[in-house]
Amino acid sequence: MKFTRKSMLFAAITLILGLFLAACAGDPEEDDAGSSDNGETSSEGGGEGGDLVIANNSDAVSLDPNGSNDIPSYDVQRNIYETLIQQDDNVELQPGLAKSWEALEDDLWEFELEEGVTFHDGAEFNAEVVKKNLERILDPDVASAQASLFEMIEDIEVIDDHTLQIKTEYPFAPLPAHLAHPVSNMVSPDLIDEDYAAMEDGKDPGSVINENPIGTSYFKFDEWEPGNYVRLVRNDDYWGENALLDSVTFKVVKEDGTRIAEISTGDSHISNPLSPSDVEQVKQTDGVDVYEAGSVSLAYVGFNMQQEPFDDKRVRQAVSMAIDKDQIIDGIYEGFGVPASGPVPSEIPGFDDSIAGLDYDVEKAKELLAEAGYEDGFSTTIWTNDTRERIDTAVNIQSQLEEIGIDVKVEELEWGAYLDGTANGEHDMFVLGWVSGTGDIDYSLYPLFHSKNLGDPGNRTFTDIDELDDLLDEGRQTPDQDERFDIYKEAQELLVDEAPMINTHYNINLLGVRDEVKGLNQLPTQYLELHEVYIEE
Amino acid sequence: MFTFIIRRLLQTIPVLIGVSILVFSLMHLIPGDPAQIMAGESAPEEQVENIRERLGLNESLPVQYGKFITNAVQGDLGSSVRSGRAVTKEIGGRFWVTVELALYSTILSVFLGLIAGIVSAVRQYSFSDVAIMIVALFGLSMPNFWLGLMLIQWFAMGIDLPSWIPFIDSTAWFKPSGWGSFSQVVLPVITLGTAGAAIVARMTRSSMLDVIDEDYIRTARAKGAKERSVIYRHALKNALIPVVTVVGLQFGALLGGTILVETVFAINGMGTLIVDSIQARDFPVVQGTILVVSLLFVFVNLIVDISYNFLNKRIDLD
Repeated sequence: MKFTRKSMLFAAITLILGLFLAACAGDPEEDDAGSSDNGETSSEGGGEGGDLVIANNSDAVSLDPNGSNDIPSYDVQRNIYETLIQQDDNVELQPGLAKSWEALEDDLWEFELEEGVTFHDGAEFNAEVVKKNLERILDPDVASAQASLFEMIEDIEVIDDHTLQIKTEYPFAPLPAHLAHPVSNMVSPDLIDEDYAAMEDGKDPGSVINENPIGTSYFKFDEWEPGNYVRLVRNDDYWGENALLDSVTFKVVKEDGTRIAEISTGDSHISNPLSPSDVEQVKQTDGVDVYEAGSVSLAYVGFNMQQEPFDDKRVRQAVSMAIDKDQIIDGIYEGFGVPASGPVPSEIPGFDDSIAGLDYDVEKAKELLAEAGYEDGFSTTIWTNDTRERIDTAVNIQSQLEEIGIDVKVEELEWGAYLDGTANGEHDMFVLGWVSGTGDIDYSLYPLFHSKNLGDPGNRTFTDIDELDDLLDEGRQTPDQDERFDIYKEAQELLVDEAPMINTHYNINLLGVRDEVKGLNQLPTQYLELHEVYIEE
Repeated sequence: MFTFIIRRLLQTIPVLIGVSILVFSLMHLIPGDPAQIMAGESAPEEQVENIRERLGLNESLPVQYGKFITNAVQGDLGSSVRSGRAVTKEIGGRFWVTVELALYSTILSVFLGLIAGIVSAVRQYSFSDVAIMIVALFGLSMPNFWLGLMLIQWFAMGIDLPSWIPFIDSTAWFKPSGWGSFSQVVLPVITLGTAGAAIVARMTRSSMLDVIDEDYIRTARAKGAKERSVIYRHALKNALIPVVTVVGLQFGALLGGTILVETVFAINGMGTLIVDSIQARDFPVVQGTILVVSLLFVFVNLIVDISYNFLNKRIDLD
């Protein structure tokens, strides 16, 4: 082979042409969903409708309600499946597939189901289907990530086609709230049978459901290219009022800056979420705006109560009082946060605003430290995972605690190692959050503070207080709502005094949304309500 | 040549076994339990135990490895612990996306780098030499995720141009994300190709300068060969050997190393898959993906070795 001038030139031209041709001849299939110019809206629905594209920071892990426990998965699932009961904007329970429900006895619930509901595959929705779904959640072979929400169910009885009774082992007040959690999404019975058949053949549980999810909701599954996008199309045979949008695409765009580019170019309509530090930029961009909504999510800095010196209540109180929460909210979250008085988010029914948290008081903090025998302070560590805002929070806490003589070392851990370490109690202090996913106050407190849940299940502060355990047990077993809230008030007061964590703030959910998107609603549980959304031309 | 290829292919077997053992042990050495990550922040212990059981994580490590390798040689890389999909399926389309991305970027960097390097070497210490080397230094030191974000800002979101410029009013020419169409490919390829081009340019320059001082170049000139012929036939061909080596290694590195660019441009490739799977401790996917990448890496290096023979007949492969 000789390198003549001509052959070099020829090679160069071939390379360039090849590059162009190959690039131009991109896969046409890829072209029409994850990547096409979705800024254009089609409006076959007669003025309202359109194809909505949501740029999400993460892909769904599984489309089987029992497959995984994460918001991006549930966010897609909630548009394919429905639950018996739904949460509204105020985190109050509303009828879903169940028309009504009541507690016949303290431990016996009756649900009356909607009639005339069919799944996307034509299967009929009835009480047997509900039973089948609930039994699947509880099946140890399926190993549902959220089976614990229903562990108290003793018996499920089908009374007639559209009436169902659930008996619990002990009186369990939050049961309806748990039935509003996406894990209890109703899956087509035929699909469940197919899934079990596949399990017999050695397939993983959920593998069939995950491939082709079938529910009853106003959208139905169209296509999922993992890591790229999930697309749903409108279900025109919906039992209630049809959705307006023709289709919804949940597109994966991890990088904050790229999501903003997506919405400003019109390639996507919604950036979910929007980072607080990007709010200014979005506000200044034409055609897009910031959407804010309250949330049931708490940001906290926990103490390991089994570790010295945090086994001393006075030390925990002192550290809590030495932290000016506004510095964190204003400096790191750009003001998008509500200062927290306790661990129960203000959106949750049962939150008591008469309870004052531990206020910022450096002098009192120093006194308490001295009382506990640490007048010269001490050295400790604070753990955080690699989320930008959490790292900043840890650094801020470090500098604030320096003022009362506490020397804090910040350690940043990768998520898996972080979960592992905090579950094993290897930490001193740590920065984390908690979403009260069911919207019931029980879920805001029981997993976080009951001694039954030490470590892994949520109680990473290793709170182990008998009095608190009793209150939390009593709270979940008391049927009367007012009585319950009284018990929880006591628990919240106790938690302020015990101070197992610094409750920094309740998050505010932020989205970047294009102006032509109308009717959007984000629930405090972070899920997007898309039923009434349309794209205005 | 043929025996050389066969021998090299056989050599890949121990390499792959080594890689698989290494990856397998590393994944199990780092803290973090896939079952716990799957179950989420709030799952009772027995739930986590159920998942662990289902995933076969309760068995001893040698047993787990044995199962993995027995299935792998039969083309079954297992299934993802996260999604339940077959690993081969998870890798599927992403493989070609990353290969395309790496290939186009390499082509771009070779093309730009060679031209810049030759011009620089031939006109050593001239203005163009200094200018090219300064630009190359920038190209090399620029973090590519930053360059990617800037390119998105300039050419996807676009800059509004003043009205006296005819025909165009904004530079929003390309798409900020995705992969497939021409308007999606341009920005990531430029982002990824820039650093490569800079390396190739510097490499070509220094390698050319070495060669140009050789006796046989002087001889070629002395016998009256045209300057073009001297540069391209005599000098460049010999100077290319280290360049080809670097390009081969770079291409290999790109296969697993495009993660930042994939993240910035929301491209669904292998880099993202590897990192996501490591974060979720999705052992089968990590193992499978790295096996595939190493296989490709070995293959690329084989091609590089063969190409030596084309560049310089004296290099004997056998």
